[in-house]
Amino acid sequence: MKQIGRFYLIAILVFLYTPIIVMMAMGFNESPLYELPFTFSTRWYEALLANQPLLKAGANSIIIALTTAVIATTLGTMASVALSRRTFRGRSLLQILLLPPIAIPWLITGTAMLIFFYWSGIGRGMHALLIGHVALAIPYVVLVVGTGFKTVRADLEEAAMSLGSTPVHAFFSVTLPLLYPSILGAALFAFAVSLDQFVISYFLATPGYTTLPVQIYSAIRKGFTPEINAISTLLLLGSMAAILIFARFAKPGDTRDKR
Amino acid sequence: MTNVKVKSVAKTYGPIPVLTDISTEFEEGSFTSLLGPSGSGKTTLLRIIAGFIKPDEGIIMIGNNDVTNVPVWGRNIGMMFQSYALFPHMTIAQNVAFGLERRGIKGEAARKEVDRALEMVRLSGFGDRTPKQLSGGQQQRVALARAIVIKPSVLLLDEPLSALDRRLRQEMQVELLRIQRESGLTTIFVTHDQEEALTLSDKVAILDRGRIVQIGEPETVYERPLTRFAAEFLGDSNFLSGKVENGAVRLSNGTVVRSDSALPGNGADVTLAIRPEKMSLATADSQPNRLSARITTVIYAGPVLSYILETPDGLPLKLFAQNRDGRVLREGETVSLSWSPEHTIAVAN
Amino acid sequence: MQNDQLALAQTRGSVDPRVKRPLPAWVSTTALLLPTYGWLTLAVFLPLLTMLAFSFMSATPMGKTPVEFTLKQYRAFIDQPYLLRIGFNSLMMGFWTTLFCAILGFLAAVALVRATVGKTREALLVLILLPFWTNGLVRVFSWTMVLRENGFLDNLLHMVAPDAGSISILYTRYAVVLGLVHGYLPYMILTCYIALVTIDDAIIEAAASLGARWWTILYKILIPMAAPGLISGAVLIFIPVIGSFMEPRILGGRVGVTMGTVIEDQFTQAFNWPLGASLSFTLLAVVLAIFATFSGILRRGTAG
Repeated sequence: MKQIGRFYLIAILVFLYTPIIVMMAMGFNESPLYELPFTFSTRWYEALLANQPLLKAGANSIIIALTTAVIATTLGTMASVALSRRTFRGRSLLQILLLPPIAIPWLITGTAMLIFFYWSGIGRGMHALLIGHVALAIPYVVLVVGTGFKTVRADLEEAAMSLGSTPVHAFFSVTLPLLYPSILGAALFAFAVSLDQFVISYFLATPGYTTLPVQIYSAIRKGFTPEINAISTLLLLGSMAAILIFARFAKPGDTRDKR
Repeated sequence: MTNVKVKSVAKTYGPIPVLTDISTEFEEGSFTSLLGPSGSGKTTLLRIIAGFIKPDEGIIMIGNNDVTNVPVWGRNIGMMFQSYALFPHMTIAQNVAFGLERRGIKGEAARKEVDRALEMVRLSGFGDRTPKQLSGGQQQRVALARAIVIKPSVLLLDEPLSALDRRLRQEMQVELLRIQRESGLTTIFVTHDQEEALTLSDKVAILDRGRIVQIGEPETVYERPLTRFAAEFLGDSNFLSGKVENGAVRLSNGTVVRSDSALPGNGADVTLAIRPEKMSLATADSQPNRLSARITTVIYAGPVLSYILETPDGLPLKLFAQNRDGRVLREGETVSLSWSPEHTIAVAN
Repeated sequence: MQNDQLALAQTRGSVDPRVKRPLPAWVSTTALLLPTYGWLTLAVFLPLLTMLAFSFMSATPMGKTPVEFTLKQYRAFIDQPYLLRIGFNSLMMGFWTTLFCAILGFLAAVALVRATVGKTREALLVLILLPFWTNGLVRVFSWTMVLRENGFLDNLLHMVAPDAGSISILYTRYAVVLGLVHGYLPYMILTCYIALVTIDDAIIEAAASLGARWWTILYKILIPMAAPGLISGAVLIFIPVIGSFMEPRILGGRVGVTMGTVIEDQFTQAFNWPLGASLSFTLLAVVLAIFATFSGILRRGTAG
């Protein structure tokens, strides 16, 4: 039975990774029409370097993702402090209100943002994308940092205050250093969420300001070229790296001494 | 060193009163235990004195200062928590130096203070370790060093020994008492362990449902409980109820019991408390107060024998006897008990 | 204050003789929460309300046509019967995707719990979940490489049977479901795994020692234990799938017309925002109904 189980798990992994590996491999194939036999070439990666719109979209994606990570982590951590450490009326309602950005299909959220931003004069473009991405990332930050809070005892802050710390000093000298792995993890998570975000970006991007996934989507719809494989490979490896680092940092219950 | 005064403090959470009209004084240099079951408000009172909770009414004085509106960090208190609450990301020395740093004491001066504090708790040379590398008892001593190194006006202890095992706990009690005596700090100690409270304290305050029902020296509180709750919570007690009749008490079964306590007027209902160890098996030269009862259970614990008895009219009684002559009575035997009016305490219900 | 300083000076000295009174707790709590909820209001809640308002308009209020309030957008399902068919297709797409995910994912979770331990299990979990957090668009695109004519699958077949005809299932409903299963399977594995990981080995051993056959163990122990995970996984897959549009577009081509693509068209091609809004809201109503039905199980199922 155990043999069958392991074999089945390997089959699942093959199913999950085959298309990804095939796609990556095709990015290194000489033929523009994906023709076999396979001839190794880096020409599509070289072509990327000359593809200005794609490079610009890539730069936009990274800038948006970094900015989103900074803003969402700051705001989300603040909210998490209140939601994890304070008791007040309406707290559970506020926690439920974090769910819509995660749970409602992005198509609905994205089209709603398009309507509202257009109608209210906010418009589309970089700032609109940023507003949308941060909103999607905040709930994840609150959840990840909130999990981190559970590993930091509340009486540590009280101990600091009894020794003369103001609440602000207690937070920065005691809680924050202990929470730091979770916060870093949340930031990486927010970065990955933004970097991979396509649906919302698709509705909020303008012809002059797009992100990598939007650019890839329109390229796919025009027809497949190995250049798409090349840029997709880079994007995939980027977000995999971010998630793996996240998994390393945000291990729940991790209170290793950081000194 | 200073005294702490609590005046008419009250606190409610929603509709539930947690503390009702608490007024008391903790004298300079004294060690006071707040003793009570969970939910009695003892921890709330400690946290109000510390400044973590703001009372709805009343004032807190530390020395001559009204600190009611001063936040925790301005009260100059030393506090020990039930969990050790050591900062896991700092070394032992950094933990102890934390409060000094907040008071602007740094560098060499701070190092000296830290060394002295660690020496006081017998942990010299542990400064470079992290809390994780220390045992529970050692961590607790670091917490104590951290609390006293700042020379607080008052030392507040929130059941700090309850996480330790029995042997370590007794060791820490001795240690705590020694350090408290050496430093002369006014100390307030929350516990639900009556033995701990009796051993350590200059004064014991018994809390019941948000009120201090009695405060006094351990001996007084034990020997002269004011209420049925105090008699029951601190140690064991037998309770007899009856009506006052000509300066004595007539029980419902007709027995007349004498008490040295001040009794209310004729006809008033009264409850009497008698400690089980104050009762003895009746002999020729016995005390005036007598009852006969049947032994239902015998608990043999070596030096002490506990008898659980029942009077003919169904009243349960307990009796502790020194195992002096090795004679153990049997279950089912009917015996006569006697005790002195001096040990018959009238308590409020 | 003067007294304060004197008294405290006798001891160690107050931390700050001018100790400020702390702000009332509600002020700082509000200050901590306001940025987040302000942002969510601007980016999510106000847009949803605006979209609700738009769904009652007769035309997009950006052109010259006068705009009236009407229910006609919600009558679209009656006026344009093909929308009903598309809606049904979307639901079926959700059903098949969820079903395949449930079967494959449940078995994978059982295999993880029963056939692996320790570091191996951890590594397998990470490998299974890793694709889930990468770009969905790219993963869908990668299937085109496998499924297209003269693609990976085609070549594989010709290696085994050189004479076989060319197969291309790209631009079929099968391809769409395949791509969606690929995208959402890790979710189901995770929710089932969380539900199953708490099973004590002793239960299964006890059952086996009592003579229970494997299917009895499956039906009487594993499936009931995994039920909360199966249900929360199903809900969390079904909902995004019925709202998907880029998977059907890329893998389904012309046959991949779904609610998602119709809504997308209203916003990017037809410029009929009120219709798009009403369709979006209909979809949202379905989503909320599903959440409301399963909210109890979801809360328990995802708590771990």
